[in-house]
Amino acid sequence: MLNLFLFVGLPYMAFIVCTVGIVYRYRRKGFTVSSLSSQFLEGKELFWGSVPFHIGILVVFFGHLTTFLVPRATLAWNSIPVRLLILEVTAFTFGLTVLIGLAALMYRRFTTPRVRAVTTGMDIVLEGLLLAQVVFGLWIALGYRWGASWFASDLSPYLWSLVKLSPETTAVFALPWVIKAHIVGAFTIVLIIPFTRLIHFFVAPLNYIARPYQQVIWNWDRRAIRDPGTAWSPTQPRNN
Amino acid sequence: MGSRSGHFLVAGVGVAMFLTASIPGRAFAQDGETIFNGTCKACHTIGGGRLVGPDLAGVSTRQSEAWLIAFIQHSQTVIASGDSDAVALAAEYPGISMPDWPLSDDQVRGVLAYIQQQESAGPAPVAAGAASLQPGDPVLGRNLFQGTTRFDNGGPACNSCHDVTHEDVIGGGILAKDLTTVFTRLGGPGVRAIVGSPPFPVMQRAFQSRPLTDQEVGALVAFLEQADAEQSLHQPLDYGLGLLVTGLGSAVILLGLYSLIWRRRRRGPVNRAVFDRQVRST
Repeated sequence: MLNLFLFVGLPYMAFIVCTVGIVYRYRRKGFTVSSLSSQFLEGKELFWGSVPFHIGILVVFFGHLTTFLVPRATLAWNSIPVRLLILEVTAFTFGLTVLIGLAALMYRRFTTPRVRAVTTGMDIVLEGLLLAQVVFGLWIALGYRWGASWFASDLSPYLWSLVKLSPETTAVFALPWVIKAHIVGAFTIVLIIPFTRLIHFFVAPLNYIARPYQQVIWNWDRRAIRDPGTAWSPTQPRNN
Repeated sequence: MGSRSGHFLVAGVGVAMFLTASIPGRAFAQDGETIFNGTCKACHTIGGGRLVGPDLAGVSTRQSEAWLIAFIQHSQTVIASGDSDAVALAAEYPGISMPDWPLSDDQVRGVLAYIQQQESAGPAPVAAGAASLQPGDPVLGRNLFQGTTRFDNGGPACNSCHDVTHEDVIGGGILAKDLTTVFTRLGGPGVRAIVGSPPFPVMQRAFQSRPLTDQEVGALVAFLEQADAEQSLHQPLDYGLGLLVTGLGSAVILLGLYSLIWRRRRRGPVNRAVFDRQVRST
Protein backbone atom coordinates (compact mmCIF):
# COMPACT_ATOMS: atom_id res chain seq x y z
CA MET A 1 0.00 0.00 0.00
CA LEU A 2 2.86 2.37 0.86
CA ASN A 3 4.54 1.57 -2.47
CA LEU A 4 1.28 2.23 -4.32
CA PHE A 5 0.94 5.58 -2.57
CA LEU A 6 4.53 6.61 -3.29
CA PHE A 7 4.69 5.50 -6.92
CA VAL A 8 1.10 6.00 -8.08
CA GLY A 9 -0.72 8.36 -5.70
CA LEU A 10 2.17 10.74 -5.02
CA PRO A 11 3.05 11.47 -8.67
CA TYR A 12 -0.54 12.32 -9.58
CA MET A 13 -0.96 14.34 -6.41
CA ALA A 14 2.29 16.18 -7.14
CA PHE A 15 1.27 17.20 -10.65
CA ILE A 16 -2.25 18.22 -9.63
CA VAL A 17 -1.10 20.28 -6.64
CA CYS A 18 1.73 21.77 -8.70
CA THR A 19 -0.53 22.82 -11.57
CA VAL A 20 -3.32 24.21 -9.40
CA GLY A 21 -0.84 25.82 -7.02
CA ILE A 22 1.07 27.61 -9.76
CA VAL A 23 -2.11 28.99 -11.33
CA TYR A 24 -3.36 30.12 -7.91
CA ARG A 25 -0.07 31.73 -6.94
CA TYR A 26 0.29 33.49 -10.28
CA ARG A 27 -3.26 34.86 -10.23
CA ARG A 28 -3.46 35.80 -6.56
CA LYS A 29 0.11 36.56 -5.60
CA GLY A 30 1.75 37.35 -8.91
CA PHE A 31 4.48 39.50 -7.41
CA THR A 32 5.81 36.52 -5.44
CA VAL A 33 6.43 34.57 -8.67
CA SER A 34 10.18 35.07 -8.51
CA SER A 35 13.27 33.42 -7.12
CA LEU A 36 13.90 36.50 -4.96
CA SER A 37 17.50 37.14 -5.92
CA SER A 38 19.91 37.80 -3.08
CA GLN A 39 22.72 38.99 -5.33
CA PHE A 40 22.45 42.49 -3.87
CA LEU A 41 23.04 41.06 -0.43
CA GLU A 42 26.06 38.90 -1.21
CA GLY A 43 27.69 38.34 -4.59
CA LYS A 44 31.13 36.75 -4.24
CA GLU A 45 30.18 33.38 -2.76
CA LEU A 46 27.00 33.37 -4.84
CA PHE A 47 29.03 32.84 -8.02
CA TRP A 48 30.60 29.58 -6.80
CA GLY A 49 27.19 28.33 -5.72
CA SER A 50 24.74 29.56 -8.28
CA VAL A 51 26.69 29.01 -11.49
CA PRO A 52 27.85 25.38 -10.94
CA PHE A 53 24.49 24.52 -9.39
CA HIS A 54 22.28 25.96 -12.13
CA ILE A 55 24.32 24.81 -15.12
CA GLY A 56 24.74 21.37 -13.55
CA ILE A 57 21.10 20.90 -12.70
CA LEU A 58 19.97 22.00 -16.16
CA VAL A 59 22.26 19.45 -17.81
CA VAL A 60 21.22 16.68 -15.40
CA PHE A 61 17.52 17.55 -15.65
CA PHE A 62 17.50 17.59 -19.45
CA GLY A 63 19.50 14.34 -19.46
CA HIS A 64 16.77 12.65 -17.39
CA LEU A 65 14.08 14.24 -19.57
CA THR A 66 15.70 13.04 -22.80
CA THR A 67 15.97 9.46 -21.55
CA PHE A 68 12.33 9.61 -20.48
CA LEU A 69 11.17 11.00 -23.84
CA VAL A 70 13.32 8.91 -26.21
CA PRO A 71 14.41 5.73 -24.40
CA ARG A 72 15.12 3.80 -27.59
CA ALA A 73 17.40 6.51 -28.94
CA THR A 74 19.22 6.53 -25.58
CA LEU A 75 19.74 2.75 -25.76
CA ALA A 76 20.97 3.10 -29.35
CA TRP A 77 23.45 5.80 -28.22
CA ASN A 78 24.64 3.61 -25.36
CA SER A 79 25.21 0.61 -27.63
CA ILE A 80 28.73 1.89 -28.36
CA PRO A 81 30.66 1.51 -25.08
CA VAL A 82 32.65 4.75 -25.51
CA ARG A 83 29.45 6.72 -26.00
CA LEU A 84 27.95 5.16 -22.86
CA LEU A 85 31.07 6.16 -20.91
CA ILE A 86 30.96 9.73 -22.29
CA LEU A 87 27.30 10.05 -21.31
CA GLU A 88 27.80 8.65 -17.81
CA VAL A 89 30.95 10.68 -17.07
CA THR A 90 29.30 13.87 -18.34
CA ALA A 91 26.19 13.32 -16.26
CA PHE A 92 28.25 12.41 -13.18
CA THR A 93 30.49 15.47 -13.62
CA PHE A 94 27.59 17.89 -13.84
CA GLY A 95 25.95 16.06 -10.94
CA LEU A 96 29.08 16.71 -8.88
CA THR A 97 28.98 20.41 -9.76
CA VAL A 98 25.35 20.46 -8.59
CA LEU A 99 26.52 19.08 -5.24
CA ILE A 100 29.43 21.52 -5.00
CA GLY A 101 27.20 24.45 -5.98
CA LEU A 102 24.41 23.47 -3.61
CA ALA A 103 26.85 23.01 -0.73
CA ALA A 104 28.29 26.47 -1.44
CA LEU A 105 24.81 28.00 -1.58
CA MET A 106 23.79 26.37 1.70
CA TYR A 107 27.02 27.46 3.39
CA ARG A 108 26.43 31.01 2.15
CA ARG A 109 22.81 30.97 3.29
CA PHE A 110 23.70 29.89 6.83
CA THR A 111 26.83 32.01 7.30
CA THR A 112 25.89 35.32 5.68
CA PRO A 113 23.68 37.31 8.08
CA ARG A 114 22.12 39.36 5.28
CA VAL A 115 21.08 36.22 3.37
CA ARG A 116 19.97 34.47 6.55
CA ALA A 117 17.68 37.40 7.27
CA VAL A 118 15.70 36.75 4.06
CA THR A 119 15.70 32.94 4.39
CA THR A 120 12.29 31.30 4.81
CA GLY A 121 11.48 27.92 6.29
CA MET A 122 10.59 26.57 2.87
CA ASP A 123 14.02 27.64 1.55
CA ILE A 124 15.63 25.35 4.13
CA VAL A 125 13.20 22.50 3.42
CA LEU A 126 13.88 22.83 -0.31
CA GLU A 127 17.65 22.95 0.03
CA GLY A 128 17.59 19.90 2.32
CA LEU A 129 15.45 18.02 -0.19
CA LEU A 130 17.67 19.02 -3.11
CA LEU A 131 20.77 17.98 -1.17
CA ALA A 132 19.29 14.53 -0.48
CA GLN A 133 18.22 14.26 -4.09
CA VAL A 134 21.64 15.06 -5.55
CA VAL A 135 23.44 12.80 -3.04
CA PHE A 136 21.11 9.92 -3.95
CA GLY A 137 21.60 10.69 -7.64
CA LEU A 138 25.40 10.53 -7.38
CA TRP A 139 25.16 7.41 -5.20
CA ILE A 140 23.01 5.76 -7.89
CA ALA A 141 25.41 6.83 -10.68
CA LEU A 142 28.32 5.18 -8.85
CA GLY A 143 26.64 2.38 -6.94
CA TYR A 144 24.09 1.23 -9.51
CA ARG A 145 25.71 2.07 -12.84
CA TRP A 146 24.75 2.31 -15.79
CA GLY A 147 21.66 4.33 -15.02
CA ALA A 148 21.38 5.81 -18.49
CA SER A 149 20.57 2.35 -19.83
CA TRP A 150 18.36 0.89 -17.12
CA PHE A 151 16.44 4.17 -16.78
CA ALA A 152 15.55 3.81 -20.47
CA SER A 153 14.53 0.15 -19.99
CA ASP A 154 12.61 0.32 -16.74
CA LEU A 155 11.90 3.83 -15.49
CA SER A 156 10.94 5.39 -18.79
CA PRO A 157 8.16 2.77 -19.30
CA TYR A 158 7.03 3.37 -15.70
CA LEU A 159 6.83 7.15 -16.20
CA TRP A 160 5.04 6.73 -19.53
CA SER A 161 2.58 4.35 -17.86
CA LEU A 162 1.78 7.17 -15.42
CA VAL A 163 1.28 9.59 -18.31
CA LYS A 164 -1.08 7.09 -19.96
CA LEU A 165 -3.03 6.75 -16.68
CA SER A 166 -2.28 3.03 -16.59
CA PRO A 167 0.47 2.64 -13.95
CA GLU A 168 2.86 -0.31 -14.26
CA THR A 169 4.73 -0.54 -11.00
CA THR A 170 6.02 -4.08 -10.58
CA ALA A 171 9.55 -3.28 -11.77
CA VAL A 172 9.78 -0.04 -9.76
CA PHE A 173 8.72 -1.83 -6.57
CA ALA A 174 11.63 -4.25 -7.04
CA LEU A 175 14.33 -1.54 -7.34
CA PRO A 176 16.81 -0.80 -4.53
CA TRP A 177 15.61 1.70 -1.92
CA VAL A 178 18.11 4.40 -2.96
CA ILE A 179 16.60 4.54 -6.44
CA LYS A 180 13.10 4.49 -4.98
CA ALA A 181 14.04 7.38 -2.67
CA HIS A 182 15.40 9.34 -5.65
CA ILE A 183 12.12 8.84 -7.53
CA VAL A 184 10.00 9.82 -4.52
CA GLY A 185 12.27 12.85 -3.97
CA ALA A 186 11.69 13.97 -7.55
CA PHE A 187 7.92 13.80 -7.19
CA THR A 188 8.12 15.61 -3.85
CA ILE A 189 10.10 18.43 -5.47
CA VAL A 190 7.41 18.76 -8.15
CA LEU A 191 4.81 18.81 -5.37
CA ILE A 192 6.36 21.73 -3.52
CA ILE A 193 7.14 23.91 -6.55
CA PRO A 194 4.22 26.30 -5.90
CA PHE A 195 5.15 26.73 -2.23
CA THR A 196 8.83 27.52 -2.74
CA ARG A 197 11.25 29.66 -4.73
CA LEU A 198 11.16 26.89 -7.38
CA ILE A 199 8.23 28.85 -8.79
CA HIS A 200 10.87 30.79 -10.70
CA PHE A 201 10.85 27.96 -13.30
CA PHE A 202 7.61 29.43 -14.50
CA VAL A 203 8.41 33.11 -14.45
CA ALA A 204 6.62 34.59 -17.42
CA PRO A 205 7.66 35.70 -19.94
CA LEU A 206 9.84 32.66 -20.39
CA ASN A 207 12.42 34.62 -22.37
CA TYR A 208 13.84 35.45 -18.92
CA ILE A 209 16.91 33.37 -19.72
CA ALA A 210 17.63 35.05 -23.03
CA ARG A 211 16.74 38.62 -22.03
CA PRO A 212 19.35 41.39 -22.15
CA TYR A 213 21.30 41.98 -18.96
CA GLN A 214 19.66 44.15 -16.37
CA GLN A 215 21.92 47.05 -15.64
CA VAL A 216 22.10 48.75 -12.32
CA ILE A 217 23.46 52.23 -13.11
CA TRP A 218 24.53 54.66 -10.46
CA ASN A 219 24.05 58.17 -11.71
CA TRP A 220 27.47 59.28 -10.60
CA ASP A 221 28.62 61.39 -13.47
CA ARG A 222 25.88 63.88 -14.17
CA ARG A 223 27.28 64.80 -17.56
CA ALA A 224 27.73 61.21 -18.69
CA ILE A 225 24.11 60.23 -18.05
CA ARG A 226 23.01 62.98 -20.44
CA ASP A 227 25.04 61.31 -23.19
CA PRO A 228 22.56 59.21 -25.20
CA GLY A 229 25.41 56.86 -26.18
CA THR A 230 25.72 55.43 -22.66
CA ALA A 231 22.14 54.44 -21.91
CA TRP A 232 21.93 51.03 -23.61
CA SER A 233 25.59 50.15 -23.79
CA PRO A 234 25.86 46.35 -23.85
CA THR A 235 29.02 46.43 -21.73
CA GLN A 236 30.03 48.16 -18.54
CA PRO A 237 28.44 51.62 -18.65
CA ARG A 238 30.91 54.46 -18.74
CA ASN A 239 29.29 56.24 -15.86
CA ASN A 240 29.72 53.45 -13.38
CA MET B 1 2.57 28.59 2.98
CA GLY B 2 -0.80 30.31 3.24
CA SER B 3 -3.93 28.60 4.51
CA ARG B 4 -5.37 28.40 0.99
CA SER B 5 -2.20 26.77 -0.22
CA GLY B 6 -2.64 24.33 2.63
CA HIS B 7 -6.12 23.54 1.34
CA PHE B 8 -4.61 22.66 -2.04
CA LEU B 9 -2.18 20.31 -0.39
CA VAL B 10 -4.94 18.62 1.62
CA ALA B 11 -7.08 18.30 -1.52
CA GLY B 12 -4.09 16.85 -3.38
CA VAL B 13 -3.51 14.27 -0.64
CA GLY B 14 -7.17 13.31 -0.94
CA VAL B 15 -6.87 12.87 -4.69
CA ALA B 16 -3.73 10.80 -4.25
CA MET B 17 -5.39 8.52 -1.69
CA PHE B 18 -8.33 8.05 -4.05
CA LEU B 19 -6.05 7.26 -6.98
CA THR B 20 -4.02 4.85 -4.87
CA ALA B 21 -7.12 3.03 -3.71
CA SER B 22 -8.71 2.94 -7.15
CA ILE B 23 -5.79 1.33 -8.96
CA PRO B 24 -7.07 -2.11 -9.88
CA GLY B 25 -4.43 -4.75 -9.20
CA ARG B 26 -3.39 -4.77 -12.85
CA ALA B 27 -0.17 -6.65 -12.28
CA PHE B 28 -1.95 -9.16 -10.13
CA ALA B 29 -5.01 -9.87 -12.26
CA GLN B 30 -3.59 -13.18 -13.38
CA ASP B 31 -4.50 -16.76 -12.71
CA GLY B 32 -2.19 -19.46 -11.35
CA GLU B 33 -1.02 -20.66 -14.75
CA THR B 34 -0.13 -17.17 -15.99
CA ILE B 35 1.74 -16.36 -12.80
CA PHE B 36 3.58 -19.68 -12.90
CA ASN B 37 4.65 -19.16 -16.52
CA GLY B 38 5.73 -15.56 -15.98
CA THR B 39 7.31 -15.91 -12.56
CA CYS B 40 8.27 -19.49 -11.66
CA LYS B 41 8.89 -21.36 -14.89
CA ALA B 42 12.34 -19.91 -15.61
CA CYS B 43 13.77 -21.63 -12.53
CA HIS B 44 11.38 -24.46 -11.63
CA THR B 45 9.82 -27.44 -13.37
CA ILE B 46 6.81 -29.48 -12.36
CA GLY B 47 8.04 -33.05 -12.57
CA GLY B 48 10.79 -32.14 -15.03
CA GLY B 49 13.61 -32.30 -12.50
CA ARG B 50 15.86 -29.74 -10.87
CA LEU B 51 16.60 -26.57 -12.88
CA VAL B 52 17.84 -23.38 -11.12
CA GLY B 53 15.65 -24.23 -8.15
CA PRO B 54 13.96 -27.45 -7.04
CA ASP B 55 11.35 -29.42 -8.96
CA LEU B 56 7.98 -28.25 -7.64
CA ALA B 57 6.10 -31.52 -8.19
CA GLY B 58 4.63 -32.54 -4.85
CA VAL B 59 5.67 -29.33 -3.14
CA SER B 60 2.28 -29.05 -1.42
CA THR B 61 2.79 -32.43 0.22
CA ARG B 62 6.32 -31.52 1.39
CA GLN B 63 5.36 -28.19 3.02
CA SER B 64 2.27 -26.61 4.53
CA GLU B 65 0.39 -23.99 2.54
CA ALA B 66 1.19 -21.30 5.11
CA TRP B 67 4.93 -22.07 4.86
CA LEU B 68 4.83 -21.96 1.06
CA ILE B 69 2.97 -18.64 1.01
CA ALA B 70 5.48 -17.11 3.42
CA PHE B 71 8.50 -18.51 1.55
CA ILE B 72 7.30 -17.45 -1.91
CA GLN B 73 6.49 -13.95 -0.70
CA HIS B 74 9.63 -13.40 1.40
CA SER B 75 12.10 -16.26 1.01
CA GLN B 76 15.10 -14.43 2.45
CA THR B 77 13.16 -13.33 5.51
CA VAL B 78 12.08 -16.92 6.17
CA ILE B 79 15.68 -18.14 5.76
CA ALA B 80 16.96 -15.39 8.05
CA SER B 81 14.38 -16.36 10.67
CA GLY B 82 16.24 -19.67 11.03
CA ASP B 83 13.44 -21.92 9.79
CA SER B 84 15.17 -25.30 9.45
CA ASP B 85 13.56 -26.29 6.13
CA ALA B 86 14.31 -22.90 4.58
CA VAL B 87 17.92 -22.97 5.79
CA ALA B 88 18.36 -26.49 4.38
CA LEU B 89 16.98 -25.33 1.04
CA ALA B 90 19.36 -22.34 0.95
CA ALA B 91 22.28 -24.69 1.70
CA GLU B 92 21.22 -27.01 -1.13
CA TYR B 93 21.26 -24.13 -3.63
CA PRO B 94 24.25 -22.00 -2.59
CA GLY B 95 24.64 -18.61 -4.25
CA ILE B 96 21.06 -18.58 -5.51
CA SER B 97 18.42 -16.54 -3.77
CA MET B 98 14.81 -16.50 -4.86
CA PRO B 99 13.46 -12.94 -5.22
CA ASP B 100 10.55 -11.80 -3.06
CA TRP B 101 7.40 -11.97 -5.13
CA PRO B 102 4.69 -9.33 -4.61
CA LEU B 103 1.92 -11.93 -4.81
CA SER B 104 -1.14 -12.01 -2.58
CA ASP B 105 -1.97 -15.11 -0.51
CA ASP B 106 -4.75 -16.00 -2.97
CA GLN B 107 -2.43 -15.67 -5.95
CA VAL B 108 0.09 -18.04 -4.33
CA ARG B 109 -2.79 -20.47 -3.64
CA GLY B 110 -3.69 -20.19 -7.35
CA VAL B 111 -0.11 -21.10 -8.34
CA LEU B 112 -0.11 -24.06 -5.91
CA ALA B 113 -3.43 -25.26 -7.34
CA TYR B 114 -1.96 -25.03 -10.86
CA ILE B 115 1.09 -27.05 -9.79
CA GLN B 116 -1.15 -29.76 -8.31
CA GLN B 117 -3.23 -29.81 -11.49
CA GLN B 118 -0.07 -30.21 -13.61
CA GLU B 119 1.24 -33.00 -11.36
CA SER B 120 -1.83 -35.08 -12.09
CA ALA B 121 -1.45 -34.33 -15.81
CA GLY B 122 2.06 -35.86 -15.85
CA PRO B 123 5.58 -34.39 -16.12
CA ALA B 124 5.78 -31.04 -17.86
CA PRO B 125 8.42 -30.21 -20.43
CA VAL B 126 11.45 -28.25 -19.24
CA ALA B 127 11.08 -24.47 -19.08
CA ALA B 128 10.74 -22.44 -22.22
CA GLY B 129 14.12 -21.53 -23.57
CA ALA B 130 15.75 -24.42 -21.80
CA ALA B 131 15.13 -26.79 -24.68
CA SER B 132 18.30 -28.02 -26.27
CA LEU B 133 19.60 -25.42 -28.70
CA GLN B 134 22.60 -25.37 -30.99
CA PRO B 135 25.75 -24.24 -29.19
CA GLY B 136 25.97 -20.45 -29.48
CA ASP B 137 28.73 -18.18 -30.74
CA PRO B 138 30.58 -16.67 -27.75
CA VAL B 139 31.87 -13.72 -29.82
CA LEU B 140 28.33 -12.79 -30.80
CA GLY B 141 27.36 -13.29 -27.17
CA ARG B 142 30.11 -10.91 -26.04
CA ASN B 143 28.95 -8.25 -28.50
CA LEU B 144 25.34 -8.69 -27.45
CA PHE B 145 26.36 -8.50 -23.79
CA GLN B 146 27.90 -5.06 -24.16
CA GLY B 147 25.52 -3.82 -26.85
CA THR B 148 27.87 -3.41 -29.81
CA THR B 149 25.49 -5.84 -31.54
CA ARG B 150 21.92 -4.85 -30.71
CA PHE B 151 19.27 -7.44 -29.86
CA ASP B 152 16.94 -8.01 -32.82
CA ASN B 153 13.88 -6.92 -30.84
CA GLY B 154 15.55 -3.83 -29.36
CA GLY B 155 16.08 -5.01 -25.77
CA PRO B 156 18.75 -3.28 -23.67
CA ALA B 157 22.29 -4.71 -23.59
CA CYS B 158 23.06 -6.99 -20.63
CA ASN B 159 25.77 -4.63 -19.40
CA SER B 160 23.10 -2.03 -18.56
CA CYS B 161 22.65 -3.89 -15.27
CA HIS B 162 25.14 -6.79 -15.16
CA ASP B 163 28.91 -6.95 -14.92
CA VAL B 164 31.19 -9.80 -15.98
CA THR B 165 34.94 -10.15 -15.47
CA HIS B 166 36.20 -10.02 -19.02
CA GLU B 167 38.79 -7.70 -20.59
CA ASP B 168 37.00 -7.50 -23.93
CA VAL B 169 33.86 -5.88 -22.54
CA ILE B 170 33.60 -2.59 -20.69
CA GLY B 171 32.67 -2.75 -17.03
CA GLY B 172 29.02 -3.63 -16.85
CA GLY B 173 26.26 -2.32 -14.65
CA ILE B 174 25.97 -3.17 -10.99
CA LEU B 175 22.24 -2.75 -10.53
CA ALA B 176 21.87 -6.53 -10.80
CA LYS B 177 24.10 -9.53 -10.08
CA ASP B 178 27.64 -9.99 -11.41
CA LEU B 179 27.41 -12.79 -13.97
CA THR B 180 31.06 -13.92 -13.98
CA THR B 181 30.33 -17.15 -12.13
CA VAL B 182 26.72 -17.57 -13.15
CA PHE B 183 27.48 -20.69 -15.16
CA THR B 184 28.97 -22.44 -12.15
CA ARG B 185 26.12 -21.29 -9.92
CA LEU B 186 23.13 -22.08 -12.11
CA GLY B 187 24.41 -24.53 -14.69
CA GLY B 188 23.81 -24.29 -18.44
CA PRO B 189 20.08 -25.10 -18.44
CA GLY B 190 19.50 -22.65 -15.59
CA VAL B 191 21.31 -19.79 -17.36
CA ARG B 192 19.50 -20.59 -20.59
CA ALA B 193 16.13 -20.63 -18.83
CA ILE B 194 16.68 -17.31 -17.04
CA VAL B 195 18.08 -15.50 -20.09
CA GLY B 196 15.25 -16.79 -22.26
CA SER B 197 12.45 -16.12 -19.80
CA PRO B 198 13.60 -13.74 -17.06
CA PRO B 199 11.80 -14.24 -13.75
CA PHE B 200 12.99 -10.99 -12.10
CA PRO B 201 10.57 -8.02 -12.27
CA VAL B 202 13.13 -5.41 -13.38
CA MET B 203 14.56 -7.69 -16.10
CA GLN B 204 11.07 -8.81 -17.09
CA ARG B 205 9.99 -5.21 -17.67
CA ALA B 206 13.13 -4.41 -19.65
CA PHE B 207 12.48 -7.28 -22.08
CA GLN B 208 8.70 -7.09 -22.06
CA SER B 209 7.57 -7.18 -25.70
CA ARG B 210 11.26 -7.30 -26.68
CA PRO B 211 12.16 -10.98 -26.16
CA LEU B 212 15.52 -12.45 -27.13
CA THR B 213 15.71 -14.81 -30.09
CA ASP B 214 16.90 -18.41 -29.62
CA GLN B 215 20.14 -17.55 -31.41
CA GLU B 216 20.77 -14.62 -29.04
CA VAL B 217 20.05 -16.75 -25.98
CA GLY B 218 22.46 -19.42 -27.23
CA ALA B 219 25.19 -16.86 -27.93
CA LEU B 220 24.85 -15.24 -24.50
CA VAL B 221 24.95 -18.61 -22.75
CA ALA B 222 28.10 -19.51 -24.71
CA PHE B 223 29.75 -16.19 -23.77
CA LEU B 224 28.84 -16.57 -20.10
CA GLU B 225 30.20 -20.12 -20.09
CA GLN B 226 33.45 -18.89 -21.62
CA ALA B 227 33.68 -15.92 -19.22
CA ASP B 228 33.15 -18.25 -16.25
CA ALA B 229 35.84 -20.65 -17.43
CA GLU B 230 38.39 -17.91 -18.26
CA GLN B 231 37.74 -15.53 -15.39
CA SER B 232 41.16 -16.03 -13.82
CA LEU B 233 42.83 -14.89 -17.07
CA HIS B 234 41.10 -11.52 -17.16
CA GLN B 235 41.96 -8.40 -15.19
CA PRO B 236 39.57 -5.72 -16.46
CA LEU B 237 39.76 -2.04 -15.47
CA ASP B 238 37.86 -0.80 -12.42
CA TYR B 239 35.19 1.25 -14.17
CA GLY B 240 33.59 2.40 -10.90
CA LEU B 241 36.85 3.98 -9.72
CA GLY B 242 37.41 5.36 -13.23
CA LEU B 243 34.00 7.02 -13.21
CA LEU B 244 34.66 8.61 -9.81
CA VAL B 245 38.15 9.90 -10.62
CA THR B 246 37.23 11.15 -14.11
CA GLY B 247 34.12 12.82 -12.73
CA LEU B 248 36.05 14.60 -9.95
CA GLY B 249 38.77 15.73 -12.38
CA SER B 250 36.22 16.96 -14.91
CA ALA B 251 34.31 18.84 -12.22
CA VAL B 252 37.46 20.73 -11.18
CA ILE B 253 38.17 21.60 -14.84
CA LEU B 254 34.57 22.73 -15.27
CA LEU B 255 34.78 25.04 -12.25
CA GLY B 256 38.00 26.53 -13.67
CA LEU B 257 36.23 27.05 -16.97
CA TYR B 258 33.34 28.86 -15.28
CA SER B 259 35.80 31.09 -13.48
CA LEU B 260 37.46 31.92 -16.80
CA ILE B 261 34.22 32.56 -18.68
CA TRP B 262 32.93 34.84 -15.96
CA ARG B 263 36.32 36.43 -15.21
CA ARG B 264 34.80 39.92 -15.35
CA ARG B 265 32.19 39.08 -12.75
CA ARG B 266 31.62 41.30 -9.75
CA ARG B 267 33.48 39.93 -6.80
CA GLY B 268 31.54 41.78 -4.14
CA PRO B 269 28.12 43.21 -3.50
CA VAL B 270 26.75 45.41 -6.27
CA ASN B 271 26.64 48.44 -4.00
CA ARG B 272 30.20 48.16 -2.67
CA ALA B 273 31.59 50.36 -5.46
CA VAL B 274 28.93 52.93 -4.63
CA PHE B 275 29.91 53.01 -0.97
CA ASP B 276 33.59 53.19 -1.88
CA ARG B 277 33.00 56.19 -4.15
CA GLN B 278 31.06 57.96 -1.43
CA VAL B 279 33.91 57.40 0.99
CA ARG B 280 36.42 58.70 -1.58
CA SER B 281 34.34 61.76 -2.40
CA THR B 282 33.97 62.94 1.20
